[in-house]
Amino acid sequence: MSGAKSTTRDGNIDAAQRTASPRGPGLAPRLSVIVPLYNEQESVRPLYEAIVRALEELGRPFEMVFVDDGSKDDTVPVAASLARHDSRLRIVKFRRNYGQTAAMAAGIEHANGEVLVTMDGDLQNDPADIALLLEQIDAGFDLVVGWRHNRQDKLITRKIPSRIANWLIGRVTGVPIHDNGCSLKAFRASLIKRIPLYSEMHRFIPAMASIAGPRVAQIRVRHHARRWGQSKYGLSRIYKVLLDLMVIKTIASFASRPLRWFALLSLPLFALAFFAFGQTAVDLLMDGEDAISLPIAGSGVIFLGSALILLCSGALAELIYARGDVRDREFLKLTQTILAGPRNPETDRAL
Amino acid sequence: MKPQAAPPSISVIVPVGARRAADIGALYREYRSNVAATGATHEFIFVLDGPRPEARRALETLLREGEEFTIVNLTRNFGEAAALTAGFERSSGGTIVTLPAYPQIEPADIRKLLAGLSTADMVIGYRWPRHGNALDRARRAAFHGLVNWVTGARLRDLGCGARAMRRQVLEEIDLYGDQHRFLPILAMRLGFRVSETPMRQSALDRHARIYRPREYMHHLLDLFSIFFLMRFTKKPLRFFGMLGAATFGVGAVLIAYLGMDRLLFSEPLADRPALLLAALLLVLGMQVFALGLLGELIIFTHARGLKDYRVEEIIQYPDAVAASDSGSDSAPADPAASPEMRATAPPAVTA
Repeated sequence: MSGAKSTTRDGNIDAAQRTASPRGPGLAPRLSVIVPLYNEQESVRPLYEAIVRALEELGRPFEMVFVDDGSKDDTVPVAASLARHDSRLRIVKFRRNYGQTAAMAAGIEHANGEVLVTMDGDLQNDPADIALLLEQIDAGFDLVVGWRHNRQDKLITRKIPSRIANWLIGRVTGVPIHDNGCSLKAFRASLIKRIPLYSEMHRFIPAMASIAGPRVAQIRVRHHARRWGQSKYGLSRIYKVLLDLMVIKTIASFASRPLRWFALLSLPLFALAFFAFGQTAVDLLMDGEDAISLPIAGSGVIFLGSALILLCSGALAELIYARGDVRDREFLKLTQTILAGPRNPETDRAL
Repeated sequence: MKPQAAPPSISVIVPVGARRAADIGALYREYRSNVAATGATHEFIFVLDGPRPEARRALETLLREGEEFTIVNLTRNFGEAAALTAGFERSSGGTIVTLPAYPQIEPADIRKLLAGLSTADMVIGYRWPRHGNALDRARRAAFHGLVNWVTGARLRDLGCGARAMRRQVLEEIDLYGDQHRFLPILAMRLGFRVSETPMRQSALDRHARIYRPREYMHHLLDLFSIFFLMRFTKKPLRFFGMLGAATFGVGAVLIAYLGMDRLLFSEPLADRPALLLAALLLVLGMQVFALGLLGELIIFTHARGLKDYRVEEIIQYPDAVAASDSGSDSAPADPAASPEMRATAPPAVTA
């Protein structure tokens, strides 16, 4: 959470940032508010009104992207009737229900702003808090995460598991975020548009984004109890979170050097094989061939063989990465800071 | 859709494989007269999957007699899915109909298939009333029960080769291997509406079939592959991770038990073959888990091309009544946005 302030980027973004740097209200970056909706027919209109009210006060140009995740109720007609009178509202309608991650990803893809804000469609987040998020973005952070400090949810089924999950995610990814589950977040579009989002990664957007090393800020936001409808996301099963964490660890720390990751996994096996063979050797030398224990020697062989196969898997992983189309270098470009001394105008221009 | 000049509205694709009618000419005439009876313009494409000299001779005779259709001759047996794709690439109709190369259904029911397209994107036939002995029925019920359970679909006859679909369906589906049988399921996965329509079983199709064990095996493997594709393509670790963790867990429990025995009851480890089993399970669990990680790495490195969702339409009204005073929407931030922009396609055929 170090707040490195001025950021210089490569390419066009760089130019855009520089021209916009003395920020008057008219020059503030365009803002897109992304809301995934699934069976929210009652919430749509109040939500829309709340967003418009909150953002018109800010005086920034903005747009709204409502992503309908295959709702079975009147969400789309209601939203469409709103869109008819407001060209700032765009509705992306899915062919069927694809889940919240897909809805977020679609919203991010179809948003045109330079700053993207995501929030829940059930009015549990307060659009008035968007202003707080934007302050942090303006202060130079790439990613601002809301933190529901007085969360209006059930303690046992929602709050405690999420606290454990957040602690675990923080430990594993090294980005200690209090509340990964809060949908109210703000991103720089240039960053989040390049982060692959798939499967059920919406819970881990900050963790996924951590592969690019963003400057992350967290702020407390309001959280309202749900007014309409059912909560769609119940107690998420712990094993899913654990496996997803494993995936994020693999991706975030080892994607570009997978052999190391697999070698790390194979270390305990090598150790076990070493012990088993050591025991066998001791038996052999002390008491002769008859004293060898077949189960122990056999286990040694199994451990050794398996460790070798794991290493081979690591080599295969290297191959996969080498043939894939995701590279570290594009992620580092998203957040890098380039410092060039003013005494040398030549290099400055070259940047 | 009215009959029109250039591209026909219906393309009929008949993949001719090992199983084909004795008199393909007669079958063609029946198909043609029934398709023609719907009044829509149409074209026929026969795909000979591998060298089928007598079928080819029969079709060439028909060509000489002035019939109009296309023959695509593949040099070896690529399988029905590939044959369908090859036929599809030659086709130009807005509606694609696939028909079996042997009498399976009453050709008179083809119009029912086409009529169903007014409310669905894809219509598949199921043979009804269906003839067959008890064993046959039990086999079918078991297979379809499993498929429906795994995929959440409700289909009765995946073996029926008569299907009609809008062109877009085949454009979006990447068909390979033996997946032609699961075409409706793949279409559903992409969010297309799929319906079934009963078709009378042809008198020539009413004999009981004898399947070799190999075919049962193939069915089972197909089922497994579709299961994996449906549930875990985007999250392989969910599958491998569970399997691996379970195996590892059993091994760990066994090891713990053996260890307790050794420490508490001084039961020597050395002559317990169970040690081998425990080691094997432990190691197997790790290997399977590592496979899952490999899978995740594959997904991640190819995440650029992955798109989890299909957008049906985007609703946005260009500066309508109360145009936004902030003027945000005229800003040319990203003119190439909404690449998915697509109007709701009209219902395909109303014959």
